[in-house]
Amino acid sequence: MSNQKTFISRHEELPLKGDSTSLFLQIMISIAVFLFAVTLSGVLSINTMLQNWNESILGSLTVQIMPVNHVNRDKAMAETLAHQEKAVEFLGSLPEIEKVTPLNDGQLEKLIQPWLGDGINITDLPMPRIIDVKIKRGAEVDFVKLAAQLAQVTPMASIDNHKLWLNKLIKFADGLKMLAMCILALVIMITSGAIFYTTQTSLGLHGYTIGILHLMGAKDTYVAQQYAKRTAILALEGGLIGLAIAIPTIFGIASLAQQIEGGIISEAKLSFEAWGVILSLPLLASFIAMTTAYYTVKKTLQKMM
Amino acid sequence: MLNVDNSQNSIIEMQNVGIRYGQGPEILSDIKLSLKKGSFHFLTGKSGAGKTSLLSMMYLAQKPSRGIVSVFGKNVNFTNRDSLAMLRRKIGVVFQDFRLIDHLSAFDNVALPLRVCGMDEREVRKRVLEILQWVELDKHIQAAASTLSGGEKQRIAIARAVINRPDLLLADEPTGNVDNDIAPKLMKLFVELNKLGTTVVIATHSEKLITDFAFPRLHLQNRGLKIFGPCDASGMRGCHV
Repeated sequence: MSNQKTFISRHEELPLKGDSTSLFLQIMISIAVFLFAVTLSGVLSINTMLQNWNESILGSLTVQIMPVNHVNRDKAMAETLAHQEKAVEFLGSLPEIEKVTPLNDGQLEKLIQPWLGDGINITDLPMPRIIDVKIKRGAEVDFVKLAAQLAQVTPMASIDNHKLWLNKLIKFADGLKMLAMCILALVIMITSGAIFYTTQTSLGLHGYTIGILHLMGAKDTYVAQQYAKRTAILALEGGLIGLAIAIPTIFGIASLAQQIEGGIISEAKLSFEAWGVILSLPLLASFIAMTTAYYTVKKTLQKMM
Repeated sequence: MLNVDNSQNSIIEMQNVGIRYGQGPEILSDIKLSLKKGSFHFLTGKSGAGKTSLLSMMYLAQKPSRGIVSVFGKNVNFTNRDSLAMLRRKIGVVFQDFRLIDHLSAFDNVALPLRVCGMDEREVRKRVLEILQWVELDKHIQAAASTLSGGEKQRIAIARAVINRPDLLLADEPTGNVDNDIAPKLMKLFVELNKLGTTVVIATHSEKLITDFAFPRLHLQNRGLKIFGPCDASGMRGCHV
């Protein structure tokens, strides 16, 4: 035949590309992926923080040396430092202790800076001295016994093992994490719902063509596969857009968080694995969208003959 | 009774079939019919007599409101969706309103029945070009269906119906929109297919067609179905109910 060599372009039977629901779906998914990525990065950061804090509870304690009251400020300071020295010596001799670090004036000034501002001379204040104690990994410390022993070495010393305030902080962070997880579940549900209703609307729009395909002997899967393929592509494109906006947002939030000094928020760093999960979100969105569209079509077509 | 029996060669069996839309009255009542494999029938009746409804049950677009319809030996009421799709692949249909997909080209429209079966594209191309040449539309293979004339659309619809060499061919006024010189050619195609074993049912108002081709007639009247023997030039004969 003369036309044997003619190039014949094949058009999609269901013109889903120009479908008015496509743009809506793409925007919807890009927003969902953006929210998901930002929230997920929050959850993963909180997880890292919780891990670090847990390690802190298990691995360290703080000893406080109360300042000695004396009319002579220099003498008072010298006595306080002497008490500190005794405590450091005692703590350093214990087998469970890995490292004992008394905080110097600069470090103490930095600690009180958020409350008293710059230009404070610590020697003018009746400031307690702080000793940071790191406990050996796996070592068990009886804090009550240690406090009693330390009191015998120096009556000015008291132990804070961080447990009380860190427990409260961990509870708060756990709550935040749960809230974020709920938001993630909500985002998935809303997106799936949107895909469900968008697909149903599209099925209505293309009902005539689908009817013809059925009469030609097309199975539901034939139609469902076309929807699944198109929705997967739309979701992937939307997901990449959402991710492209989310990444600078995450960096922006991280940068703002690191400006908060005090070492609490700055511990919230994302690991390589976490970034891997975040970067794979468009693929995940595409898969969820594809599956939802496929089963929506199958379910909806079941109602037709 | 012509071609009305319960033999295993029946392509379509209908027993006490009634059809109604919503809560309205029955359009068709107590239809009993058995179409043998390889038979050729005209389907006649006034407008609104139920020809399209009867055909739609035959091409499995509609289930009966009551009674039993069996197509290729399968009761449609107890056949699952995938099996119904497989049965439809054996049926070619020419619709009165053509039912072409407007945004698709003539080629793609005709290729539909082959593609839904998953046929290899090379074979699709070969078969479609061949049939388009036969219906004299090989110059319009890339033209969107929406740009074709009524007659051209009808030829596309016919080409699509026969491309898969169906076991059952149902046509609703297939020559209504084509030129007088094309109509006999299309009828000859249906006859040739019938000779090759395809069971054919053609709904028509054309007395000329009925008299030119001596095939039995299914006539719808008063919601019932009567079956007449082949007509000749002198009129009808052999009325059977």
